Amino acid sequence: MSAIVHRASEWMYRGLWRVLGDLFLVPHDPPTLPVRPGEAIDSFQPGEGFLRYLKFWFWFLLVFFDLIFAAAYAGIAATLCTKGLWWVSAILLPPTLFIIVVPDIFAYIAIHLRYDTTWYVMTDRSLRIRRGIWAIHEVTITYENIQNIRVRSGPVQRYFGIADVMVETAGGGGAHAGKGGQNTTGHQGVIEGVGNAIEIRDRIMAHLKQSQTAGLGDDRDHVAAATSWTPAHMEALRAIRDEIRKTKLAIDG
Amino acid sequence: MSTPAPLSASENTRFDPTAIRRPDPALMHYYIIIALCTVFGFPFVLIAMYIRYRTLEYKIDDKGVSMKVGILFRREVYLTYRRIQDIHVTKNIIHRWLGLSAVAIQTASSSSSAEMTIEGIRNPEALRDFLYSKMRGARDEHDVAADGSSNAGASHPNDEALVLLREIRDELARQRLGGGRPT
Repeated sequence: MSAIVHRASEWMYRGLWRVLGDLFLVPHDPPTLPVRPGEAIDSFQPGEGFLRYLKFWFWFLLVFFDLIFAAAYAGIAATLCTKGLWWVSAILLPPTLFIIVVPDIFAYIAIHLRYDTTWYVMTDRSLRIRRGIWAIHEVTITYENIQNIRVRSGPVQRYFGIADVMVETAGGGGAHAGKGGQNTTGHQGVIEGVGNAIEIRDRIMAHLKQSQTAGLGDDRDHVAAATSWTPAHMEALRAIRDEIRKTKLAIDG
Repeated sequence: MSTPAPLSASENTRFDPTAIRRPDPALMHYYIIIALCTVFGFPFVLIAMYIRYRTLEYKIDDKGVSMKVGILFRREVYLTYRRIQDIHVTKNIIHRWLGLSAVAIQTASSSSSAEMTIEGIRNPEALRDFLYSKMRGARDEHDVAADGSSNAGASHPNDEALVLLREIRDELARQRLGGGRPT
């Protein structure tokens, strides 16, 4: 029985999502990044735990606020009934139920939409984050420009096995605005609610460690000159040294 | 109302970023809607928005992007591709209905808002891909260290320094062998 209900609600949600997505012109495909042929591109969404995490807060707040509303209504209705105005409390019942139920439905849909519209794309060079329902926001950051990476998880997030990876570029200002990663113009990208946060962190860190610059728009030309000595170059240089030695021997002998 | 630009990057083969000089006319519609939202301030906001729309000018050249705006208080921003830190593309619901978008570019300055926001762009994905390709770390030459360590030992066929070194080696060898015998 519950499986049927679950599947029906799934279909209802899919249909609703389709209608809302078309109405609000939400892109259905995940974002992409321009890559060279053969380069790995990896797009993923927040972990399953993230949805459960959001729903946990949803039920928590729902019970909290609805209990307050219900208690307030019960108090008002009781005082009205003692004064013989029971019909007023009967009239107040539908609006109270409306206030209790309708915002919850919207919040529940919003949670699912938020989960479904969040996308992360990683390649060998950069990452892109798409987020948002009302305003769709996409951030593109190359690993070269990343200054630091933070992994953050609270007790509830740890219970659901998720964490946030925060990637920051140079510059200040709005970097600390928006605790939930909702800030739109800060110098950072938030990979929110992923199950393999440490893996993602290590992956980005590996690229950072290979980088030769400070990530501040340094010109690469002189760096390139210093680092372009491959083993083949060294071999050729050694051969030249040996040639000169042999030449000297030939002249001397 | 027009359909929004496709989200794929397939169109940017024919995309010419230098052609972007002015925001799309639909941006004025967006500004009117924004002005309507500020019920009482409508006339003032509309005038300011109209001036902004009329004077907005972009210039995208081979080194960077510049943006000019304003009549009385002129503002000009110029930034180079190399110093771009991150690119943001924002489309709110009105943007999407009008087929517009805003491409915000950030450098490493400490301001909290983006240094430059290119508004009224019809095809933001192509512009973003163009900017991305100019950004540090997006291309081959920028990843010398990564490439050098991954394919260590293998030499590039058109590596000029290596070719020169080999020529010197061969020249020395010829000197020794050819020049040593007659004397």
